[in-house]
Amino acid sequence: MAKIKKKGQAGQAKNYITRTQAVKKLQISLPDFRKLCIWKGIYPREPRNRKKVSRSSTPSTTFYYTKDIQYLLHEPLLQKFREQKVLEKKISRALGRGDVSDAARLERNAARPEKTGKPRYTLNHVIRERYPTFIDALRDLDDCLSMLFLFANLPSTTAVPAKMIARCERLCLEFQHYLIVSHSLRKSFLSIKGIYYQANIQGEDILWLVPYKFNQRVVGDVDFRIMGTFVEFYMTLLGFVNYRLYTSIGLKYPPKFDAAKDDQAAELAAIALEGVNLATNNEPKAITNGEAEQGPDPKVQAEVDKLVRELRDEANASKDSEKTAEEGQDEDGETDEKPSDALDKFEPVAPGGDVLPQPSYSNNDPSQLFSRFTFYLSRETPRQPLEFILRAFGCKRIGWDSVLGEGAFTTDESDPSITHQIVDRPVVQAAMSAEGDGEDNQTAQKLEPNHRYPGRVYVQPQWVWDSINDEELKSPELYAPGAPLPPHLSPFVKPTQGQYDPTVPLEEQQTEREAIDAELEDANAEERSGDESEVENDMDVASEGDDEEAEEDDDEFGGFDEEEEEGSEDEEESAVLQRQRELEAEISGKSVKSKQTDAKTKAKLEAKKALERKQRQEAEDLERAKGMLSKKKRKLFEQMQYTNNKKSAEDMKLRAKRRRLEKEMAAKKT
Amino acid sequence: MGSKLAEKKRKSRASDSDSDDELANGLFDGVLSQSEDEDNFPSEDEDKDEDEDEDEDPDESESENSADSEDEIEEDDDAILSDDIPSDMDGEEKLEITEPGVDPKPKEEDKEEKNYRIEKSANGGVRYVYDEIDPVYDSDDSDAQGPVNTIGNIPLSFYDSYPHIGYDINGKKIMRPATGDALQSLLDSIEVPKGWTGLTDVNTGNPLNLTDEELELVRRVQTGLIPDDLHDPYPDTVEYFTSIEEKMPLSSAPEPKRRFLPSKYEAKQIMKLVRAIREGRILPYKPPEEREREEEEKEEVHFDLWQNEEPQAPNPMHIPAPKLPPPGYDMSYNPPEEYLPTKEEREQWENADPEDREKDYLPQKYTALRRVPAWAGLVKERFERCMDLYLAPRVRKNRLNIDPNSLLPKLPSPSELKPFPTVVQTVFRGHEGRVRSVAIDPSGIALATGGDDGTVRVWELLTGRQVWSVKLSSDEPVNTVRWRPTKDSFILAAAAGEDIFLMVPTHASVTPALDQASRDILAAGFGHAANGQQQAVPVGKEPPAKWARPGTKLEDEGVLIRITVRSTVKVINWHRKGDHFATVSPTGQRSAVAIHTLSKHLTQIPFRKLSGLAQTAAFHPLRPLFFVATQRTIRCYDLQKLELVKIVQPGAKWISSFDIHPGGDNLIVGSYDKRLLWHDLDLSNRPYKTMRFHSEAIRMVRYHKGGLPLFADASDDGSLQIFYGKVPNDQLENPTIVPVKMLKGHKVINKLGVLDLDWHPREPWCVSAGADGTARLWM
Repeated sequence: MAKIKKKGQAGQAKNYITRTQAVKKLQISLPDFRKLCIWKGIYPREPRNRKKVSRSSTPSTTFYYTKDIQYLLHEPLLQKFREQKVLEKKISRALGRGDVSDAARLERNAARPEKTGKPRYTLNHVIRERYPTFIDALRDLDDCLSMLFLFANLPSTTAVPAKMIARCERLCLEFQHYLIVSHSLRKSFLSIKGIYYQANIQGEDILWLVPYKFNQRVVGDVDFRIMGTFVEFYMTLLGFVNYRLYTSIGLKYPPKFDAAKDDQAAELAAIALEGVNLATNNEPKAITNGEAEQGPDPKVQAEVDKLVRELRDEANASKDSEKTAEEGQDEDGETDEKPSDALDKFEPVAPGGDVLPQPSYSNNDPSQLFSRFTFYLSRETPRQPLEFILRAFGCKRIGWDSVLGEGAFTTDESDPSITHQIVDRPVVQAAMSAEGDGEDNQTAQKLEPNHRYPGRVYVQPQWVWDSINDEELKSPELYAPGAPLPPHLSPFVKPTQGQYDPTVPLEEQQTEREAIDAELEDANAEERSGDESEVENDMDVASEGDDEEAEEDDDEFGGFDEEEEEGSEDEEESAVLQRQRELEAEISGKSVKSKQTDAKTKAKLEAKKALERKQRQEAEDLERAKGMLSKKKRKLFEQMQYTNNKKSAEDMKLRAKRRRLEKEMAAKKT
Repeated sequence: MGSKLAEKKRKSRASDSDSDDELANGLFDGVLSQSEDEDNFPSEDEDKDEDEDEDEDPDESESENSADSEDEIEEDDDAILSDDIPSDMDGEEKLEITEPGVDPKPKEEDKEEKNYRIEKSANGGVRYVYDEIDPVYDSDDSDAQGPVNTIGNIPLSFYDSYPHIGYDINGKKIMRPATGDALQSLLDSIEVPKGWTGLTDVNTGNPLNLTDEELELVRRVQTGLIPDDLHDPYPDTVEYFTSIEEKMPLSSAPEPKRRFLPSKYEAKQIMKLVRAIREGRILPYKPPEEREREEEEKEEVHFDLWQNEEPQAPNPMHIPAPKLPPPGYDMSYNPPEEYLPTKEEREQWENADPEDREKDYLPQKYTALRRVPAWAGLVKERFERCMDLYLAPRVRKNRLNIDPNSLLPKLPSPSELKPFPTVVQTVFRGHEGRVRSVAIDPSGIALATGGDDGTVRVWELLTGRQVWSVKLSSDEPVNTVRWRPTKDSFILAAAAGEDIFLMVPTHASVTPALDQASRDILAAGFGHAANGQQQAVPVGKEPPAKWARPGTKLEDEGVLIRITVRSTVKVINWHRKGDHFATVSPTGQRSAVAIHTLSKHLTQIPFRKLSGLAQTAAFHPLRPLFFVATQRTIRCYDLQKLELVKIVQPGAKWISSFDIHPGGDNLIVGSYDKRLLWHDLDLSNRPYKTMRFHSEAIRMVRYHKGGLPLFADASDDGSLQIFYGKVPNDQLENPTIVPVKMLKGHKVINKLGVLDLDWHPREPWCVSAGADGTARLWM
């Protein structure tokens, strides 16, 4: 006879280990264990059978794989943690003795990453272990970037040291610089939570979220120690990733960081890229040239620059945009020109406004979408995301109001080289229309914000986002200042069969039933509006008919379960109704008008009935087939059915809403 | 006389001292001890005196004492002479000690007699070289004390009126020393003796004088110096070893190796340090501020971490964290209008618990980008993501990305499987309360029903006209009605309570011949019963059933026989030949199942003991087999061999009914746990197919007996499910089972829907009995 096996000696009981056991085995504190798990990427597992794994009755036990914990046993970081623990003990003992100087000496040796933002240990080996290849690291960059961009925008507190924030900010800027140089930014999306960006690096899609530039409020119970642990790891990871990315395109890492410029909110411009070889890359130069030239005397330099640029632009641009701009300036000195007017005139400047497709642009590399333009950002626009996106899509000359910080190509709004101005303020039309002449100074000042430079395209910021997402310049008319914007759609949604898609007209995606319902409703509405006098009458009749029908139902009970019968009853009912109507008409001396108008409606009704019958038939078939399934399969089927139904119900709701909205719009138009 | 003697002594002493001076000037070194010695002299003398003559007058001793004191004074002078020179400091201090009225002349005089030489030291300073002291033999004798006064703590003033001032150790009086005459005192007042303190020695009563040395000693003790004046705290170094190299070694041992080999241990220690320096563990000292600054400036070192990367096969147990879903249309700051929530949706979202919300945001539309506020929950959201990453157990779930319809079996269209009943044709109304049972007669013309009102009614099947009715019982419901299954008769069996009635429901459509034949069949048994019943039943035992005529009233109606059994009969099932029928009364325990023989008016109870409650029983349509269903199992008995053939286990919790296929090889079972089970008797004891179509218990299942491949079940949810069930002739093929129609029409009353069901013998019609008081014909 085989040896009797003891319980808990093999199998699942041995494969899993509870957290308490793990902490005991590693001989570290729980926070240290947490850190280790976060860095090493070890997460709890759900055993197939909890009962077999643990004898404990507490249901909320966390289980880890024993192998995972064993693997942690050899971690060099573990030793560091222990050393730190010993040091802490020594310090506390020294303090207990009242030996302050000794405590201070020991304290100097202690690593306080929460204060300094710098630990005594490095996580290099952990990163190499977790991501054996670079692609692996890229694949896991989503959370890393979201986290670091969030921390770069957090206010510094005791839990979040200022140094950590500064470091996050720098790493993020470096990463953005790489994206600009390599043109790997693909999509961006303005959501209510923040701005989503998607980049494609070495074939990996990376999606991250950057909050809007506001002071982040911390609500709810958030443990910054845990987040800090993550950030520590992510900072190291992004540092190495940045190194690799920079070196892969021949740039030196770390790039030069200009602290003075950074203090003046230069953001991207605070970092100057250098090539590994002396021959620096062309593109980084281009990025920094705007600022570099502002060295000696800004005004003089700016004017010189302007001239140079004008010359260059004229030489470069195949279309003589400057000339037209000047012409425009001559022609309409009037400030309150309508944006549509300007657009009509300066189509060459903004080719997206053309009706004719322009092959030269569509054929171009999408990464050079904005390369020909000079942008000017108004004071109220979000500079950082706009600058980043415009640069990433090839724009080299971006100016902005000096309020927005250092590093602009120009801070002069009247610079003639500007082709596009991004504006996000309402048009003050009331003042203009009221006092067209502009008699006193006050009105003139009021008009000031509305001042338009001719030869420029004024657009709202959404234009930039929609353009890059569609990889073509959108028509600026739609995005003119003050105009109601077209909806901003997420570029990340992949259209799937049968799902509601707001870009497709309603007729193409609604179900047959919905279409018939909608048409019926339309017809009803028309009818109602057509002969309102008869409405009451009709209603009366209808209610009477209903009553009758109900009675019928009562005394002849057998009907309600039989579909065919029901169908016939419906017909019957309508016939009764019709008869009643005729009678009523006769009594009142009217012709049976409704009948004729109904001809179309009736056909619709019949179609609807047919559809309903069909659906009922299908439902019955389904029921029959379902009864033949085994229990397991039926459960599965029902589950799938449930989610599908939920989705389709949601879609249906959306379609209904859209139909209503479209109707309202149509009503408004007429 | 004494004084003279003392004088003499003093003189001799003085000469002694003089001579001592000449010899060596160190007599005054230990002044105090010297004086003590002096004091001791007389005591020694005394001792000697005592030895010689015991009684010596006090005067003598007194004179001695005085002499001693004078001696002392003399010597003190010398001592002062010898010692007050060294420094000015000393002189000043002395001035403090001496009486203010005293002129310092004697000191100057004293200076002339010196016991030291002044020499020039090596570095040119003044150096006093004292004469060497020649110790006398007994000079340091400290054992012999002077006459110690033993009065203890008592003040000396107590003895003022006495000639003595106390007692010595031997109990002898210590006489008061002479105070001297007036002249002496005058002299004293003029010339303050050396070391005068104005105090009186307690022990002796003499004035206490201190020498310069003593004063110096007191001063040194007071200032915390070492009392001994001669102690040099900073002596010159004394060379213990000479620098002269000796020619001959002190030891002939060979030179040890350590003297000339470099130490390995030290090398080790040094290497340790070197290594520490190299590794940067030991750093050159820097001021803390500078160090901190440097540490801050120190950048993280970056290098190509993936320089020699080698792709590893992913660990099969590792589950990478799922990425967050990308934002949809409704998360846009400017979404399409249809994504905006309506007022109700908004309210619903706001009222819901944050944990119950499907989305953590409400779609919102902002007309311009500048109006978009910060998202308050962003930090929290990130934090939750972090928590998920490290705390959420990851489980790999295989998502079945298939069309759910592909799971469904492909069933042939019901239209191909016609005929089967679809519509209600006739509704039979008339019963008060539930209709418990229905049965269509073998010719297919009449329908019999039995209900809660205790009546059995016979209807014309197609028209729904009631043609015959009888009230069998006033308080008991008619539980079941069944026709005798042969066409040569028109006999109906009905059970109400414990009674089973056999009747011939005569009405217009029944030919008299048939009626007569039926009555004959029923009557035939009476004769037989009269003959043989007595033998059949053992004496003293109650018969299992009583066969009797029900009484004239009922007989007029056509009810001809009443069989009374022991408990309520629920089920009647006829044998195909019409001579036997089985009844089941589930509460009847031992006599639950009974088989009645019509021709003999005989009732038999085939089972002495039943395992479980009998639910229903039936005869096999072809072979002499008998099936009995208990709650869980169906047992099949051979009636000829009288043995158990088979136990069918449908797996249902509570069987409600079963029916045997006319072919005899298949069985359907309906159960109260909503399942319908198809058994292939040849194949297995377990069900071949399980079907669930009803939401409530199944009450009755029936095969069509007229050659059509149909069967149906009746359920408490008020519906009947019609199936197409084709049993192939070939044994190897499986039966085809297709649900074709769900018939709905009966109302559910008190959770009871359809209670009984019967098929037409030829047509694809069926009749159902409902709890709503109607029976329905479906065709």
